[in-house]
Parts: sequence; structure tokens; C-alpha cells
Amino acid sequence: MTRRLSTPAPIASASVHNQFSDADGFYEALLDAHAGLNPAQSAALNARLILLLANQIGDAKVLTHCIALAREVQIASNE
Amino acid sequence: MQLKSTSTPYSPSSISNSYQFSQGNGYVLPEYAAVVPQAVHSGAVEHHRILIVGGGLAGLTLACSLAQLGVACVLLDEDNTVGVKGASSRGICYTQKSLEIFDKLGIYERIAAKGVQWSVGRTFAGDDEVYSFDLKQQNNFSFSQQPAFINIQQFYNEGFLVERIGQLNATHASDSTNPSAHTGAQIRWNNRVKHFANNDGIATFTVATPAGEYQATADYVVDATGSKSPFRKWLNVSVTAKQGDDRWCIADVRFNTRPPTERHTWIEAPFNDHRAVWQHLMADDVWRIDYQMAPDADPAYVSREDVVRERLAKQFGAATKVDIVWVGTYAYRSECVDAMCVDLAAQSVLQAAAKKSQKNTLPNAVHSSQVFFIGDSAKVVSPFGARGGNTGIADADNLAWKLAAVMHGHAAPSLMQSYHAERHEAATTNVQVTNRTARFLRPADGAEKLFRTATIALAKQHAFARALVNTGRMAVANPYSASPLSDKALALSTSVQNVALQWVDASPAGLNDLLRWAQTRPLLLVFGDAQGQLAKAQILLLRQITQSSSARAVQVVAQLGQVRVLEAVLDSANLLRQACAVDKPDATQALILQGTCYWAVLRPDSYLCARGTHLGAALVSALKVFAKQAS
Repeated sequence: MTRRLSTPAPIASASVHNQFSDADGFYEALLDAHAGLNPAQSAALNARLILLLANQIGDAKVLTHCIALAREVQIASNE
Repeated sequence: MQLKSTSTPYSPSSISNSYQFSQGNGYVLPEYAAVVPQAVHSGAVEHHRILIVGGGLAGLTLACSLAQLGVACVLLDEDNTVGVKGASSRGICYTQKSLEIFDKLGIYERIAAKGVQWSVGRTFAGDDEVYSFDLKQQNNFSFSQQPAFINIQQFYNEGFLVERIGQLNATHASDSTNPSAHTGAQIRWNNRVKHFANNDGIATFTVATPAGEYQATADYVVDATGSKSPFRKWLNVSVTAKQGDDRWCIADVRFNTRPPTERHTWIEAPFNDHRAVWQHLMADDVWRIDYQMAPDADPAYVSREDVVRERLAKQFGAATKVDIVWVGTYAYRSECVDAMCVDLAAQSVLQAAAKKSQKNTLPNAVHSSQVFFIGDSAKVVSPFGARGGNTGIADADNLAWKLAAVMHGHAAPSLMQSYHAERHEAATTNVQVTNRTARFLRPADGAEKLFRTATIALAKQHAFARALVNTGRMAVANPYSASPLSDKALALSTSVQNVALQWVDASPAGLNDLLRWAQTRPLLLVFGDAQGQLAKAQILLLRQITQSSSARAVQVVAQLGQVRVLEAVLDSANLLRQACAVDKPDATQALILQGTCYWAVLRPDSYLCARGTHLGAALVSALKVFAKQAS
């Protein structure tokens, strides 16, 4: 059976609405950055990138919420 | 052919971009009589102003457009039918822009009657719908008289074009008021180009027919031979290319139950080993079900009837009765020529230099041939987003009016340079957009797969991630950012939709009627001020401005009381005004409310090339863009 997903209710601090000005362009640049890297280098790149992006956000509440959201999805997909 | 590798390396594999016939009953395609020109018997060398090689969507659209614009051309096709003999429908999704072009050519009604309209697309991952769109809800599509998309087998459109060309030729032939009536667009079935030579800047062909060979030369050559174009090699054109290991298998089928008339896409289909599946309806109640296969899957095995039936049963249930119309496997590649127009004079100079020739071989540029690449011969893309055939139709539409303007003497041959500037931008954009989709649908192991898994997981819960789910970005009329024909103040030259209008006697009209009336000339739309009013002094000024230009001017009014002495159309809902976005002028023109008069200049292919808020220098120079090309 196919489930049709509803848009989630507005949540506390982190926006889950689309804020990308160019989603496809970002995605391509992200994958290009990983091209030719081995798994360890790739993981290290991701770590550096998360820290850089987190600094752009800055706000502690938003960052804590993002971490929680990312963990929720992890738990949901392990069910 | 020179291959330039791009950033992402893929392992080389066998490729067949054109869908190959494998199994099934196929379609019954029309057959046309072979044409054997006099030159086969006389041995004379023919000369043509315009020679089109290839009778697919792009070549036939061009021939039909030229016929409509009153310009003679010859089209050579290597077989005697449309479509691929005994084989598939190839392209199935036709965009609003393509449908508008077909409307201008007079075949839209037939396509609408035969094809299937759709506007809703849904994307699934596993059992969840992660993304959907309804094109009817997107504002831009609602301006046009044509729907967002119609699905129909490609050979129907090609067949309609062939018949329309026949009609147009007959009309021209019987036009006794025009003594110089041209010979029309002559389609020569079973005429295969066997050999091509650049003889000191003159394109020279050897053409094989069932009754023997003949030779021909041509001033303007159009390569519409498709993805296996021999011209790229003959002209040593460099190509930027990329190929992957993604494999697909199409089953065109009929059911005893009807799925919804929507585009359904599975990124990870539970019934296809968690690979992608496409489901789309087209004419004759035939559904295209397109299955992603394992990389480098054996095409012979995956297209075997029992294997196909097993796959269909997994998706639709064993109880669903399925008639297999056609089955075909394909791989795809992306390719784009680096120049969409080649001047043979420049080529022969290069050749001469390479041979260290002492002779002064610099040929007279006026008499040299030019070769234009259109459709798949210019660029090849994956099928995602319907950016193949639709781009070819747009290439033809762009080239047709320019060739016709030059032939009619409305523009100088230098106008042709804008073809590369505009359509190469469109081609490279379409290659980039389709490559991005291909990368989402067939991610490389490692980071690409990791991010796709994360995207899908997030997309099931959060709206932002749905923007990253890329199952194809549907084709649009590509805007031009650097067209030599656009006013500098216009950041993007965009296509204006075929808006419904009325003639002043209240009979129905459309923007296409105005474009047909303007033929190869610029179309000046005059909207008046915010209330649609036009002062007497402005009429006089307009007359003065348009008299020194070849433009056709028309007043667009919201009420009949506003009609002045120009040709006029009624736009009671202000749709055309909105479609041209004249209220958002690009130029930082001082908005002089006293004397405001909104205007827009459209090209014969409906692209906006300038707009403004009052009658003045900006309009004069916009209309000169065409005049400049003619000087």
C-alpha cells in the first residue's frame, strides 16, 4: 500500500521547508566535492562541511533541533 | 570526433541511445513512396538553398515551418517511414512549447485528439510518496491555450508533420496570385547521404536512392540525422560527452485495468529490486512502463518476453491482463557538439593551412555553405525530463524563422549566428539538467549513494529534502541569457505563451495568429498605459517609429472602446499583458506616468526580445536589433 505523506506541522526552531535557491546546483556541487575521495576522506569532508555549515547557522537552538531531527530519521528508518 | 572527458569518470560500456526494437507486436507505421530525382538519370549536380538531412521530429518540424513561411527546402530521409522501422515510439512527452509550435504549424488539434493530457506527477520511494506536482497549479502554464503536456507516440507527430507538409505544398502550388510560388518542402524518402565533402567551402553530397546515386550542393545544410550523426565526423566537430552504465528496459503495454493518468515515478520500487520505474500513459491506451535494470544488465535477457511478463506481474499483479505492444532496452549518454553551426569556408581555410597550401584559398564567405546541427545531432541527453525531442523541436523552430528571414531578404545572413548563441546555451543547459537527474537515479557507490539515501529518508518527513529528490526536471522553453537579438536591459529572453485573444469582431484569436501574421518580422505589441489608453500623439509617434522598421505593430486592448488606428486585438483578461510581464520593466527607465505606454517586441518564435514603459529610444533601438542584422 502506498502511503501519502502529509506536510509536517510547523516545528520549533529549524525550518524544514525548502529554502534552497538552487537545490539541484547545490546537490551537484556536493557530489562533485566527493568525487575521487576514498570513504575515509569522504567522511572527513562531510565532517568539515557540517562544522562549516553549522557555523553559518550559529544559533544553538536551531543546531540542537537539526541534530535531533537527523537522529529521528535515523531511528525511523531502522524500524 | 574528439571526445572531451568531463569531471566524473564513468566506465565505458556499449551504448544504444536510440531505443532498439527487441520484441512485441510493434506499431504499424505509414510507408511513403521512394523519391528518385531527375539528377539520378541526367547526372546533373543539383543545387539547393536549404538541404535538411534526416526526417525525424527536428528535421520534419523545420521543413514544415519553412513550408509555412514560404521557403523552399529539400529533406532527405534514409528510409521510407516515420519512427524506427518495426520499432518503438521513442519520445512520448511533448511540452507546452512544443505543442504551441505544433499549433502554429497547424497540427495541434490532431495531436490533442490523439494524445493524452496530464499534469500530475508523483514520485515514490519504497511504499511512500515523497514528492508530487500538478503543473496546472503552476501559474506560467495557465497562460497558454495549450496544456502543460501531452503524451503521444513520436511517430504520430512525425506522421502529422509529413501530411501537413503535403497540404502546405499543395496550397502554395495552387496559389496563382503568387507567380514566384516556391516548390515547397520536398521530402525525399529513401534518399541516403552516402558521402559528404567540403569542396572549397561548398557542401557537396552524394545521395543514394533505390534507382542510383546523384550529387547535390547546398548553401544551408541542416544536420537532423540524430544521435548517430555522421556529420560530426565529416566536419571534425568536437563533442563534449559522458556515458554511464545505467540500463533500462521499456515495456509499452495495454491493460484490462487503467492506472491513473499521472506520471508515476519510483526511485526505489519494491517490485523492481529497489530500482527505479516510470509509468506513463500515451495514445491508444498504451502505457509505457520503463524499468531500471542492474548496471550492465544483459539486454537480451531483460527484454525476453517471459522475463518482461514476470516483471509486469510483480508490479500490477498476476491477475492483470497485459498485452505487450513493444519491448526495448536502452542505455543513454550525454553529448553536446561544441559548435552548433559550422562555416565551411572557415573549415576549408583550416584544411588548406593544414596542407600548407601556397594558394590563396580564402573563399568568398557569401558563397560558402553553412552546416547547422539540430535535435539529437547537436546534443544527446538521457530521457529524464523529456528534454530530447522537445529541444529538437525548439531548435527547428529557432532555425526556421531565421533561415526564412534571410531567404526573404528581411535579414542579413549574419542573423544565422544567433542560432548557435541561443540553442547551444539551451543544449548545454539540458545536458546539465539531465546529467544531474541521471546521477540521482544511478548514484555511484560511496558518497553519491550515501547522500541519496539520506535525501530520501529526510524527504519522507521534511519538505526541504523533496527539493533534492530529482527524478527529472520537466523540459521548458529554455530562456536565452546572452542572445545577440535581445535588448541588453532584458536579463533573460523568455518564450511568451500562446495566449487566447479575440479579434475586434469578437471571433477567437491567439498569439500564434499574430505571429503567423508577422511571419519573419518582429511583432510589436502596444498595450497603452495602465488603463490601456493610447493618446493620439502616441499613435503618431508609433507610426513614425514603425515606418522605419519591418516590424508588424498591433494594439492590444482590454475594451473595444480603446481601439485606435493600429491593427488591434482584444485581451479582455489582460493575459497577454501579464504573459509579457510588461508591468515589470527590466530597464531602469524613468517611469514617466505622463505618456506611459507599455510595449513588448516578440520574435517569430514567440521569444520576448525587448519590452518597455514608454515610446522612446528603447523601442527604437529594440526594433533596430533586427535592422542591424539586416545591414
